Amino acid sequence: MPDPDTAVSPAGATPRFEPDERWVPADERWLGLDRRTIRPTLAVFALAILMSVVLPVIDATVPYHDIVKAGDVLQLEGDVTFVPEAGWGITSGLRAGHAPLSGDYPATATVEDGAMKLTLRTGQFHGDARQLLDQIETTSEALNRGRGVRLTGAPTTVVTEQGKLGASVRVTGPHTAGVIAAFVFGTRGVEAVATGPSDAGAESTATVLRMIDSISQTGEGKR
Amino acid sequence: MTTMLAELDRARDTALDLSGWGRRFSFYQPRNFAFWGYLLLVAIGFLVFVSTLARRYDAYGQAIGLAVTSFAIYAALFWWFTQHIDHYAKLPAKLMVVAFVWGGFAATGAMAANANDAILALYAKTFGQVWALNWGAGLAAPFTEEWAKGSGLLLLIAMAPRQVRTAFDGFILGAFIGLGFQIIEDITYAMTSAGTQFGANQIGASIGTIILRMVSGVAAHILYSAIFCAGLVYLLGRPAEPRKIGRGLLLIAIPMLLHGTWDSLGAIAGPSALKLIGLLIAAIVVALAILVRVYQSTVQRERDFVRDVMAPEQARDVITAAELDAMAGNRKARKAYQKAGGKRSERKRARYVLNAGYALADELAAARGAETDRVRFARSEVARIRAGIPSRW
Repeated sequence: MPDPDTAVSPAGATPRFEPDERWVPADERWLGLDRRTIRPTLAVFALAILMSVVLPVIDATVPYHDIVKAGDVLQLEGDVTFVPEAGWGITSGLRAGHAPLSGDYPATATVEDGAMKLTLRTGQFHGDARQLLDQIETTSEALNRGRGVRLTGAPTTVVTEQGKLGASVRVTGPHTAGVIAAFVFGTRGVEAVATGPSDAGAESTATVLRMIDSISQTGEGKR
Repeated sequence: MTTMLAELDRARDTALDLSGWGRRFSFYQPRNFAFWGYLLLVAIGFLVFVSTLARRYDAYGQAIGLAVTSFAIYAALFWWFTQHIDHYAKLPAKLMVVAFVWGGFAATGAMAANANDAILALYAKTFGQVWALNWGAGLAAPFTEEWAKGSGLLLLIAMAPRQVRTAFDGFILGAFIGLGFQIIEDITYAMTSAGTQFGANQIGASIGTIILRMVSGVAAHILYSAIFCAGLVYLLGRPAEPRKIGRGLLLIAIPMLLHGTWDSLGAIAGPSALKLIGLLIAAIVVALAILVRVYQSTVQRERDFVRDVMAPEQARDVITAAELDAMAGNRKARKAYQKAGGKRSERKRARYVLNAGYALADELAAARGAETDRVRFARSEVARIRAGIPSRW
């Protein structure tokens, strides 16, 4: 093996000149830009606008038409159910007996009627209803940082039609008012958040409370 | 002899020109419209991500800390792995970072996330909530996420036309775009999991998600984007990769199909957990098998470049024919070359010689085939290691 230092090497080989990476040929310039980079960038912009503007606008213009009928029951993860008010719209959540193919109901459900809105959320929780309410308050305060709705007043006890004891507290915010209720079925926590205009009438409030009272867990009565 | 050497030198020059190997990449290119487009979309995505993180940090700080740390380690391991498998005409590290950042911020926050929400809501409104839960994700994400990620390669080609030249370049950059997307999506998923128990037991609530995402991640976004972007290069054609429309479209369709299938596995399996696990494993195996096949078909051109760049070195007896074959061969060829050494010390030396050979190839590429002090030094290193002389440095 010859010594590479003395081996024959490309005689007089010098680096072939390559223009700087930022150099643009004179015949490819347009308003100071490299014209060859315009089309691919516009294509990406078009895709971004389609995804971030056009699709959300189309979604916003298409209304929900899933209206609660008398006798409908919504079911959530952990066999938690509640009876929504007939005439309200279901914006998320599934009716009992209509599980997805996986068999798992989602953890949240929301029904709305005008500005009135009720959202139920379930999850694992080890503790009682009052502790769950404290946890919800801690998390809400951390997420909202004083903005949006605030929990006000002392917690009170609520009892569902099933006889389940829960804890609730009033919430207020700019132009909104409502209630948060918490229940724990075994190790399954349930959070119900109802909000609406601060001047909502007594009838709307009674409707929301009726839905909260209907919260139950399948088989809970047998336990 | 001289004529043959001249021909080999010309072939080397052609390979270096075509491959773009060793060319530097400048990120700051004010006259490049793609640079501004990239900057704008990444900035939007970055602001969206950081504001989400900041908003939730007080509530889910523990889970966020765990997710960011875990996925940072995951990303570092992946980086090491790609360096390990890419022995050939390497892309500039800066370009890989640019790809990663596109996947992490622009493709997620500025593009796919908005489209996913809208399409899922539209599916629910049109076909009902049950249908949307069954098939919505599988019929939204393959279109939104794969194109959001893949579109980044269009900008990268416009920003680095002299470097991104082959389908393998698309494969590697796609993998980094996918990695960025995967990491940011995983952190977001971990944040969501942290809230599933009302903010209590955050670590317990999110650790399962983090582990599952890490295990399945290899056969998810990283893989999809690597294949998709290799397909995009075939579809567009590059100086070192002739346009192959059919192959391009196929490689774009495959990851979309894999992605759609993966997102629909829950619905396909039904309530049976056993069936779901079986399908998950089958999906991962199929996806990895396709990935290996695409890697093997795209990397061949890069190996040819290594052969063309190093053939003059072999003709000048800097490396042997066996070493050239090993350098331009696959892992099996390199192992066979090392094993031929016999004794353990010889096998080790053979490995070092190969590594020095790759370092010489990188120097030759950086010098555009010219004789420089760095090239001469890299060449002398091959000889030194072969002779078993300890390094002076």
